[in-house]
Amino acid sequence: MKSMSIAALLFVIFLGALFVYVAEDIPAFGDANSAPNRYVWLFDMDADGIEADLNQGNIPTILGDKLEGRGFPLPSGIAKLKEGEWDAVIIPEEKHYYPKEQKYYFIEKKGDKLDVYRYSLYIRFVEEGERETEVPNMVTYILADYRSYDTLGETTVIFTAGVAVLLLLRRKEKRPE
Amino acid sequence: MNSKTRGMGGGKGGDVIVETVARLMVPFIQLFGLYVIIHGAGGPGGGFQGGVIIASSFVLYVVAFGIVKAGNRFSEAKNIALFSTGVYLYAGVGLLCIICGLAFSAEFLNYGYIPLTHHFEENRALGMDLVEVGIGITVMAVITSIFFNLVWKREGEEVEGED
Repeated sequence: MKSMSIAALLFVIFLGALFVYVAEDIPAFGDANSAPNRYVWLFDMDADGIEADLNQGNIPTILGDKLEGRGFPLPSGIAKLKEGEWDAVIIPEEKHYYPKEQKYYFIEKKGDKLDVYRYSLYIRFVEEGERETEVPNMVTYILADYRSYDTLGETTVIFTAGVAVLLLLRRKEKRPE
Repeated sequence: MNSKTRGMGGGKGGDVIVETVARLMVPFIQLFGLYVIIHGAGGPGGGFQGGVIIASSFVLYVVAFGIVKAGNRFSEAKNIALFSTGVYLYAGVGLLCIICGLAFSAEFLNYGYIPLTHHFEENRALGMDLVEVGIGITVMAVITSIFFNLVWKREGEEVEGED
């Protein structure tokens, strides 16, 4: 009985240490560099002539036409991240609820092609989730894969509820065993 | 048969119809619960729902046969062991992901690195199934334990009142 208690205590300490270790690694909310937050691929185009425009912060007309032809909003500015990578931002109008510039498109040079991506976590979940996880059920792959640390917390909440009921309502002397 | 001791409280032989129907229904309810857990990836369902369905079969057993017989069949010690088994299965899959992915990025609960098959995406699907089984075990044990504890308490009070 004594050894069982010690083993249980060790297991609890181990699980707590694992949770703390993992929580240290979670990126801040909205971190653009966390893997799923980036990149819904839109299209690619030829790079010649456009790259200089992008480096100066201008929006090339070919890019603007392509975006508008697909029904996407035009970006209001280009910011250079590093050689061969750019962010296209949109500064909303004054009446917008959050008048703060949004990162909207991400442009990357690959060979002599430019790949145009869009920053959107939720669109990536909806569009790319089935290809990335081989699971057709959207609810399951979001809950158990992209948001699995959250679900682990929910399971722990249920476990805690069970332990609390055991501590409060248990009557040992009435049991047959 | 005294009506006070029938069913939930007494446990010494209830209604014949109730007992027969319960005896027939319990295995099918448990089978359906397992189906809901396993098919959580392909259709509606998942660990939480399947665990509650399996727990409802134990509730039906208690209603039909009484808490004493059910307590002998599904003992409290095993139930408490199952509590933590589910959570540890879940966290253990996450730890396995860290260990198997040490050469790459060592991410918690990134199931793709568990070498179950040769495809990263199928590994993710299988890892999700393992995690759903863990959730199902915990939910089943906790719901059953809550119901058993509530029923025990009520019966204890009734016995005290009669004495």
